[in-house]
Amino acid sequence: MKKRDSAKGARYGMVIDLDRCTGCGTCTIACAAENNVSVLYDESDKTRNINWLKIYMLTNGKAFPHTEVVYLPRPCMQCGNPPCVPVCPATATTNDSDDGIVSQIYTRCIGCRYCMAACPYHARDFNWFDPAFPKGMDRYLSPEVSPRMRGVVEKCSFCHHRLMSAKSKAYFEGRRDLREDEYIPACVEACPTQAITFGDLNNPKHRVSELIKNPSAFRLLERLGTEPKVYYLTTKDWMRRMADNYLQGESKKEGNRPEKKNG
Amino acid sequence: MEFSRRNFIKFFAGGIGGTLVSPLPWKLIDDIAIWTQNWSWVPLPGRGKFSTVNSVCTLCSGGCGIEVRKVGNRVVKIEGRRNYPVNQGALCPLGMAGQQILYNEGIRWKAPMKRVGPRGSQEWEEITWDEALNGLATKIRGLRNEGNPEKLAGIDGNHSRSTVALLIKRLFDAIGSPNYLGMPREEDTHAMAAFLMQGTNGPVAYDLENSDFILSFGCPLLDGWGAPGRMMSAWGQVAGDKPSTRPFLAHIDQRASRTALKADQWLAPFPGTEAALAMGIAHVLIREKRYSKEFVDDCTFGFADWFDAQGHGHKGFANIVLKKYSPQIVENITGIKKSIVIELARRFASSHAPIALTGRGKGLLPGSVYEFMAVHALNALAGRINKSGGVLVAHDLPLAPWPDAEYDTVATDGLKRERLDRAGTPRYPFTRSLIHTFSEAVNSSQSSPVDILLISSANPVFTIPDSKSLIEALDKIPFIVSFSPFKDETSLMADLILPDHTYLEKMEDVPRPTGVQYPLFALSQPAVKPLYRTRHSGDVIISLAQRIGGTIAESFQWNSFEETLKGRVKGLYQLGQGQIAYDGSEPVWKRLDKKSGLTPVYSSFESMWEALRETGCWYVPSHTFGTWSEIFQTPSKKFEFFSSNIELALKTYSKGKSLDDALADVGILARGDEVYMPHYEELKSRADEKEYPLLLVPIELINLASGWIGNPPFLNKTLFDHQLRKDDLFVEVNPKTASTHGLQEGSKAVLKSRTGELTVRVHVFHGAMPGVVFIPLGLGHTAYDRYLKGKGVNPYEIIDPTEDPLSGQSVWWNTRVTMVKI
Repeated sequence: MKKRDSAKGARYGMVIDLDRCTGCGTCTIACAAENNVSVLYDESDKTRNINWLKIYMLTNGKAFPHTEVVYLPRPCMQCGNPPCVPVCPATATTNDSDDGIVSQIYTRCIGCRYCMAACPYHARDFNWFDPAFPKGMDRYLSPEVSPRMRGVVEKCSFCHHRLMSAKSKAYFEGRRDLREDEYIPACVEACPTQAITFGDLNNPKHRVSELIKNPSAFRLLERLGTEPKVYYLTTKDWMRRMADNYLQGESKKEGNRPEKKNG
Repeated sequence: MEFSRRNFIKFFAGGIGGTLVSPLPWKLIDDIAIWTQNWSWVPLPGRGKFSTVNSVCTLCSGGCGIEVRKVGNRVVKIEGRRNYPVNQGALCPLGMAGQQILYNEGIRWKAPMKRVGPRGSQEWEEITWDEALNGLATKIRGLRNEGNPEKLAGIDGNHSRSTVALLIKRLFDAIGSPNYLGMPREEDTHAMAAFLMQGTNGPVAYDLENSDFILSFGCPLLDGWGAPGRMMSAWGQVAGDKPSTRPFLAHIDQRASRTALKADQWLAPFPGTEAALAMGIAHVLIREKRYSKEFVDDCTFGFADWFDAQGHGHKGFANIVLKKYSPQIVENITGIKKSIVIELARRFASSHAPIALTGRGKGLLPGSVYEFMAVHALNALAGRINKSGGVLVAHDLPLAPWPDAEYDTVATDGLKRERLDRAGTPRYPFTRSLIHTFSEAVNSSQSSPVDILLISSANPVFTIPDSKSLIEALDKIPFIVSFSPFKDETSLMADLILPDHTYLEKMEDVPRPTGVQYPLFALSQPAVKPLYRTRHSGDVIISLAQRIGGTIAESFQWNSFEETLKGRVKGLYQLGQGQIAYDGSEPVWKRLDKKSGLTPVYSSFESMWEALRETGCWYVPSHTFGTWSEIFQTPSKKFEFFSSNIELALKTYSKGKSLDDALADVGILARGDEVYMPHYEELKSRADEKEYPLLLVPIELINLASGWIGNPPFLNKTLFDHQLRKDDLFVEVNPKTASTHGLQEGSKAVLKSRTGELTVRVHVFHGAMPGVVFIPLGLGHTAYDRYLKGKGVNPYEIIDPTEDPLSGQSVWWNTRVTMVKI
């Protein structure tokens, strides 16, 4: 498949260590607070609620007490080859060649939800209702991110506004390149067990470039060729196997290892 | 001009052409696009200057450092502080959602309120602070004039070492009422076990980070125990290391909790048999002579057989453990294979710095005293008391004491009267307070022995296992005053509301956050000005005391809460040691034995106070490890396997009756010397096992607030749809148990105990022990707003609590239930 990732710009990515993650949910809340994500009365309605970073609970299904559970945080995969972008009739979502971030432009979105259907990761949520905040709670809204209106799709932006302000700051100081710790999304910053590492996958000095070479690194549904920029680490083989679909009888050893790729 | 066809077409064609070249249509389309996306009901976040306030989270007693991000005068977000020694940047989900507690108008009291309709009708009238406080002062003066100051009672959920709690306690002392009750806490059980075995009263201090083998008897280390920020940050610091270099965690739990999942070894004994497992490990340590001879021989009492002053022979701890807790017996009790018990014991003994610890829940759930003692006995056997990576003997902070309170004769007489809950009397000699005996005392008397009840920082109607009898008692008490900032279940039953600020609006202290192993004083800062007409409870107590007058006013000669707090902090300055800032480079626990960085950088008290307000912490990065002499304050001045204090207490209690009767009363099944030693007590449920075949165990989740603070809406996002769906709460049940009860994933079922029934749904989960039903605490509110009220059920409604032997605290993990599909 055609690789869209350009080598010239940055290619921001994330590595989530599932062996470290306790599934506490702090990242989800940090994300919601940072990005003015609205809340429903009934947040248990998972087809209507909005979660940019959703946590899944996976279990190996073995009998007590050999049960193992892995909590899997799922932000937008920020695919290098995003299936959501070409289907958008309104050009409301684009893949930025400067930073590799898949954007979502709310004011352009016409709410057709093609992108939601195209996204294999369910990373996109639709605003079925006007954004609701319990009475008085609109007072904590951040001016850095615009609240969304009814009828548009929204998703994780890798806290793009943080990149913008880091860039402005660097520009003001006469620098072109950002330091590794200068731009970090809210979930990465909030993770109490430091399970998430963030950086530029194109920059060999960033820790993420090193971590994705780890033999236990993998991505979700890698075989689709979407080239996600969110990598996971786990030593649990059963979990790694869950990350993709396999034919019956297909070698388990093949597993879900990152392919060698250029760029 | 002639009106012809030609001219008509000319006119319109020209018009259309003209309009098209003008900017008008483009402007209109653009405006429509903007207009359709600028609906007035889409909130527009206000702009302003960006700033941050350094503070401390006081939602629990963990004392994690927070950075409150502000825009203008609004709080926008809360983040963990990397330059704070406790949490080093980590924060739990509740701490992260704090702004929703501050700004949720629907759950807050906005001004002092007086109840006008009948109780429960929720008809309230706003009053002034003067009116509220004068009225209350008059009522309290009335009680004192009648000579009944003990008719004032209080339930306080503030941490017992905090300045607000001490002020409230002082108010009760000065008025002359002994009926000041603290909310039950896990720390109570720790304190009792430490007092009985070590004679110490200091805070819990586990040097976990320096340990290389952590043996956790159900202590939910990664599920919100202690200071959650500290525990998760500590895990994050070692999780990436090779298994050979990081501490080995053996966790004992009946469910695949977050801690059990991350543990290197997960053991699941039958619920309530943890003490037997601890004794089994002790057995192996003693039999194989793997215990610390140095510590046991020199510093302990009651290990070997001994004779008392009257010449009576007593069996030693070693003797009893060897006889009664062989690995085979322990296997029969706990279900853990004897080979595993032996292997675990050997691993514990051969580790360089092992530690054994207990704990329950997130801090509000007390445990069993004998069990805590049994586990602590392992630390003694391994010589792990006051050693690096072990259990430290810690002291309270050297905060300056206030001048003594003044007592008049009414107060001195009142304080001599017996407490209603009988805590501290020979029946419950070691317990600080007991809510359920308090409720029973109120319910069993003709007219209420309490006329005025003050409730602060607590929601006992929702958070205690025996809430039914408390609700009955509250109905009987004529006048209830609530200091709660929230419209919680308890404050809705009150007659007068004196709303406190929420934690982001006030200054508060956390002396020695739970479990932290070095002396630390955390001080929070108001991040915003109070939003409503609320007042700091500390200020309210001072003002109330001054309005009551007499010796009570004399005992409260302060102008403000801040002044009382500042007065106490002077003691820290006078110590001449301590640090005010933490740069985040080297964790404090790494340098506890180095004795460096003790010299304070501040020159005067004022400069220290200013710096403390800025950084929010004062700490001493040092501990004197290894000293064993003079740290034990027991009657024998040693670490006691045989607790002289239990012996003394039971002697007092059994006066005039036989010891057997006394033991039966106190609920101790053991006989002989074992009574005074750590041992396994089988806790019998009051329900019949045949009729109620399943065990109901409440669990606490880190992403579901289950204490006084209601769960903020953001946390609802993190609940799985096999935990809460619409308004139905799910219980976790093993597939085997589910199939024997005819239940499938998502089945609706009725849980029935001896005391009530609840409707729940079933989540079939391999990680749940067969025969046990796990139910999360924190939902089932009948108060708060639409985001919380009516969602799920509160397990405490059907908990059938028994009393823990010795402490009398409610046993919440021992309810038998049936489960029927509907």
